[in-house]
Amino acid sequence: MKKRFLLVVALVLVAAMLVGCTSESTSLLDKIKDQKKVVVGTSADYPPYEYIDDAGNKTGFDIDLMTEIAKRMGVKLEWVDMPFDSLVAAVDSGKLDMSISCFNYDEERDKTVDFSEAYYTTEDAFVVSSAFTGSIVKPEDAANYKVGVQSGTVQDGWLTDNLVTPGLLPEANLSRYERVDQAALDLANGRIDVLMGDYVPVQALVAQNPDLLIVYNGVLSTGPINIVLPDGDVELKAEVDRIIKELQAEGFIDQLAVKYFSE
Amino acid sequence: MDFGQFISYIASGTIYTVGVTLIALPSGLLIGTMLALLYVYGGKTAARVMNLYSTIFRGIPPIVLLFILFFAVSKGINLSAFWAGSLSLGMVSSAYQMEIVRGALLSVSGDQLMGARAVGLGRLQAIRYVVLPQAVRLAIPPWSNEAAIVIKDSSLVYALGVPEILRKAQLIGASSQRYLLAYLSAAVIYFLLVFATTKLLNMLEKKLAIPSNP
Repeated sequence: MKKRFLLVVALVLVAAMLVGCTSESTSLLDKIKDQKKVVVGTSADYPPYEYIDDAGNKTGFDIDLMTEIAKRMGVKLEWVDMPFDSLVAAVDSGKLDMSISCFNYDEERDKTVDFSEAYYTTEDAFVVSSAFTGSIVKPEDAANYKVGVQSGTVQDGWLTDNLVTPGLLPEANLSRYERVDQAALDLANGRIDVLMGDYVPVQALVAQNPDLLIVYNGVLSTGPINIVLPDGDVELKAEVDRIIKELQAEGFIDQLAVKYFSE
Repeated sequence: MDFGQFISYIASGTIYTVGVTLIALPSGLLIGTMLALLYVYGGKTAARVMNLYSTIFRGIPPIVLLFILFFAVSKGINLSAFWAGSLSLGMVSSAYQMEIVRGALLSVSGDQLMGARAVGLGRLQAIRYVVLPQAVRLAIPPWSNEAAIVIKDSSLVYALGVPEILRKAQLIGASSQRYLLAYLSAAVIYFLLVFATTKLLNMLEKKLAIPSNP
């Protein structure tokens, strides 16, 4: 759903060249098992995947899933909260062992980090306010209105590639927000007509804002979501993939989806 | 979650905001003052080097320096997000503080230095006992401006995942969908921190003022 912040990539690449790369020969899995601790990054501002509860503790679909994965690896789980844009760079630079934060597979990201097997598949949705008088029957209809999207997300990529670049949607009519709920505020206030976002979090937004409603949903930009892993660490990936498959087979992930997405 | 819990969650980030500021500001002052002394009294070559330092660090956005230090440089020396953030802000601030101190040093008339030398003080003594005491007083007003800037810039460390005020406001804003309230609370806390700091420095300025030279 979200795409890494290119500035961070560029910076890390430039700085890495300046500093010189350190080589890691052994698998991170050995280190994790030795220290009995896995350091996992997430951006806990994206309900219902990852957010904080009333007591200030992390909770959500990804959080519960990772807790179970760490349990099955037999190690302690240490969370590091970080803004989404910083997570891939943090895995790449070894600050984190892995990151779970509703990541989609993305070619750009794949150049610097690896992806686990998909643990879940999601859809996109278009939301309007109850005052909206236009109509959106197919996704391309959004081009006739002022559209809002979270900057750097896969939805942003879809809108740019399919509506802006072909000239259907003027660039000036696409507002990119740092966060999806900022876009929802502007939608409620009438600054934009349509908001495109990930179906599951958007359902939560709509549930909390009675003035908003979903007019379209389907798989457009989004698809499977994965855990981000350090580049080229085959052993760690094998272990994480094995546990994901195990959890899928047991129906654990479906239960989580029901718990958090109420589908 | 009631209002009290909401506010206290955001306010609990204050310890990191204050922590980052208390590392960045004094380290910037220490480095900045030393560099300013070198700049003003260290001869032509030192002045050129200091000028370059100042130009570079004032020319890089603090957040860029933050990312370089945290994601690239600290690959080898494993610096925590808190320290990488605090030190980067300290480096940027040192360049600004160097300019503040340099300006203050130059505001003290050169005749005084000569006069001090004439009555028998050594060069270092003249700087230490005649120029610096006056320069410090001159530096306080612009320095209180820099202190306010560093307090506010400390919010940048949120990008590295330090749970300071802004990040806490984002997290609770996201979970409660009460963004306006979250950011307003953060704004009020920042304002109070800056307001208190500025007041304290004003008091210091008055206390240190030379009575005959208001």
